[in-house]
Amino acid sequence: MTIVALDPTSGPIDPTGDRRLAPRPVSLSGQRLGLVVNGLGYSERFLDALGSELLAITDLDGVVKVVKSSVSVPPDPGDWSRLTEGATVAITGFGG
Amino acid sequence: MLHARREEWQDTDAFLADAFERGWTDGLPVVAPTPEKVEAFLAVAGLEPETVLGAVPTREVTVTAEHAAINAVMAGCAPEHFPVVVAAVRAHLDEHGNCHSTTGTLSGAAQAVIVNGPIRDEIGIAYGAGCLGPGFRANATIGRALRLVIRNVCRSVPGFLDRATFSWPLRYSFCFGEDEAAGDWVPLHVQRGFAPEQSTVTVHSVMRMISSWDSSSRTPEGVLDTLVADTRHHGFTGDEFLGDQIPLVYVMGKEHQRFFFDAGWSKAQMQEYLFPRLTAETAGLHDRRYNLGHPENILIVAAGGAGMAETWILAPHLAWAVTRPIERVTLPA
Repeated sequence: MTIVALDPTSGPIDPTGDRRLAPRPVSLSGQRLGLVVNGLGYSERFLDALGSELLAITDLDGVVKVVKSSVSVPPDPGDWSRLTEGATVAITGFGG
Repeated sequence: MLHARREEWQDTDAFLADAFERGWTDGLPVVAPTPEKVEAFLAVAGLEPETVLGAVPTREVTVTAEHAAINAVMAGCAPEHFPVVVAAVRAHLDEHGNCHSTTGTLSGAAQAVIVNGPIRDEIGIAYGAGCLGPGFRANATIGRALRLVIRNVCRSVPGFLDRATFSWPLRYSFCFGEDEAAGDWVPLHVQRGFAPEQSTVTVHSVMRMISSWDSSSRTPEGVLDTLVADTRHHGFTGDEFLGDQIPLVYVMGKEHQRFFFDAGWSKAQMQEYLFPRLTAETAGLHDRRYNLGHPENILIVAAGGAGMAETWILAPHLAWAVTRPIERVTLPA
């Protein structure tokens, strides 16, 4: 006997199909680097060192660093604005 | 009127095979959520399908009563279990339940669903011997229903928005009741402002579950000192967003409870004894400060059977413990 059942999900993850990874630059030359620090462990120290290293070995145009106000929530709207308006590429990390 | 997309399968085996294929299950078989079953669940809770239970803004997800009912059917719940599932979903989706973090975290936090009030005995929520493990339909399916909502509706799928390094078995299901008649302690829900006759659910996000086993101590102070030492082995640093309301849950078994009942200790006295000892400055690698805001954040729950002199420490992930009332309508005779 056939059965009718219901879809248990909240629908497709990308219903309009317009989400995709941002284009990857072929070079960091002239880019402004965003650093998103999640606040766990030595994340800030690590990303500071990484930013300094990239500034030294590439032609980066500058660094925008955001430190989340809490490890448990996303960056706040002001930090998102600083990133989207001030950076052209970004690096973050996760882990504890 | 139900809103979810409907499909037809040749039989229940075909549905189940497809449910596995589409990733709709936790790896165990599920019950096919037919429209008739889902409508029966909604009727018991007195909810319209489109009633919003909460949302996950970071994932652009809104969770409705229909979503919860579909997943409760799939989890194997009986209709009378559904009002408990609704309260648990509402608690989990509270802003300070911090669901995006607690279900996406590398640490693989689990959601403990603690049930209080008369509904425990009415629907068979276990709170005695073996209550944290398998063998009890209400416990097993209510906890599983919340997890299926988290997976299917809130999109916490391993490797996608569930980033757990290991995850753990508590993520299949974790629901139990408080043994409110064990002694003269004030039940958890009454401590949190509800009337004794009001049934409630408290959802607590658990990062670690640690046994504090002490069969030597014969005094309340001795049992609590061991508990403090075991709790401080890992410590807890706190979180800016969650402030001073992060809880710590102790599920105390009978062989420990009796020392407090015999000596006339209330939960409040236990909290006052524990608080300065848990929050004292770190003294070493395995003695770390537990950052709690208030003594009231130490939630003590009586449960379990006789035999082992044991209390379980449910150390928090990054969330408040959220308590919500269970609202229900009477089942038809």
